[in-house]
Amino acid sequence: MSDVSSLRDRFDSVRRLLEDEEVRSISRRYFISNGFDGTLTCIGVVVGAYLSGVTDGLTVITIGLGAAVGLGTSGVWSVWEIERAEKQAELMELERAMLADLEDTAVQQRRAGARKINAIASGIGPLIGILLPLGPFLGQGIVVSMLEATLLAIAVGVAVLFVFGAYLGSISKQNWIVAGVRMGLAGIVVAVLNLFLPG
Amino acid sequence: MKPQEPDILEFTDTAADCSGVDGVNAVLIETDREVQNLKLTIEGEDIDADALEAAVADLGGTVHSIDQVVCGERLVEQVETPQDR
Repeated sequence: MSDVSSLRDRFDSVRRLLEDEEVRSISRRYFISNGFDGTLTCIGVVVGAYLSGVTDGLTVITIGLGAAVGLGTSGVWSVWEIERAEKQAELMELERAMLADLEDTAVQQRRAGARKINAIASGIGPLIGILLPLGPFLGQGIVVSMLEATLLAIAVGVAVLFVFGAYLGSISKQNWIVAGVRMGLAGIVVAVLNLFLPG
Repeated sequence: MKPQEPDILEFTDTAADCSGVDGVNAVLIETDREVQNLKLTIEGEDIDADALEAAVADLGGTVHSIDQVVCGERLVEQVETPQDR
């Protein structure tokens, strides 16, 4: 029974954190920023792989997964350390204003929970940005050729970027189509730039 | 005194959940960039003051003073005496 209530308390605290606009805002920034990095990296990888003469879809997926592991780890790790410092600095400022030690209080624990959510959001961004565009390579040799898989991967990458942009546009009351196109354009620019790579 | 977060709703709700507390009235006295001063009026049959203060401290707050306490079998109102003039 106590396990159930402790689990419920944990769910409640996570729900409260997810409702907190500051936690959402910081997580959103990390998610989109690292998702953007991941998607553009993936487009670079798939175009580079095709232009280098890779003929096997599975090889492209393996390279892409390597990038996903790298960027996913980077996203979690860097934010974990950044937010450790930022939240500690916030707490110290609050302690100065309160003239009290706030270690081991709900205020400190809430910041620790927020830091975990920030780090998870930061890691999920690049995973989505890399794994989705790799999808078409699963069908390489079965339903699509290498060129088609590469073009489809670019299209999926651009679509992911469009969704990121449209989401940012929708929360900031901008025209979501224009905001989506602005982000999606980056994917096309990366694909085109890769065409001019030497070799 | 308490930090801006948690807000007055959560702060008051937590105080109201403490042992022996029947009801809480919270009024914002002063607000600053980082902190707020609240006046809490707490009523209950058998208030556990230590638990209440611990709950306030857990939310990052500090109790500056307890200005009126009423105990006993019946409610005793404050009486004006010559010294009050």
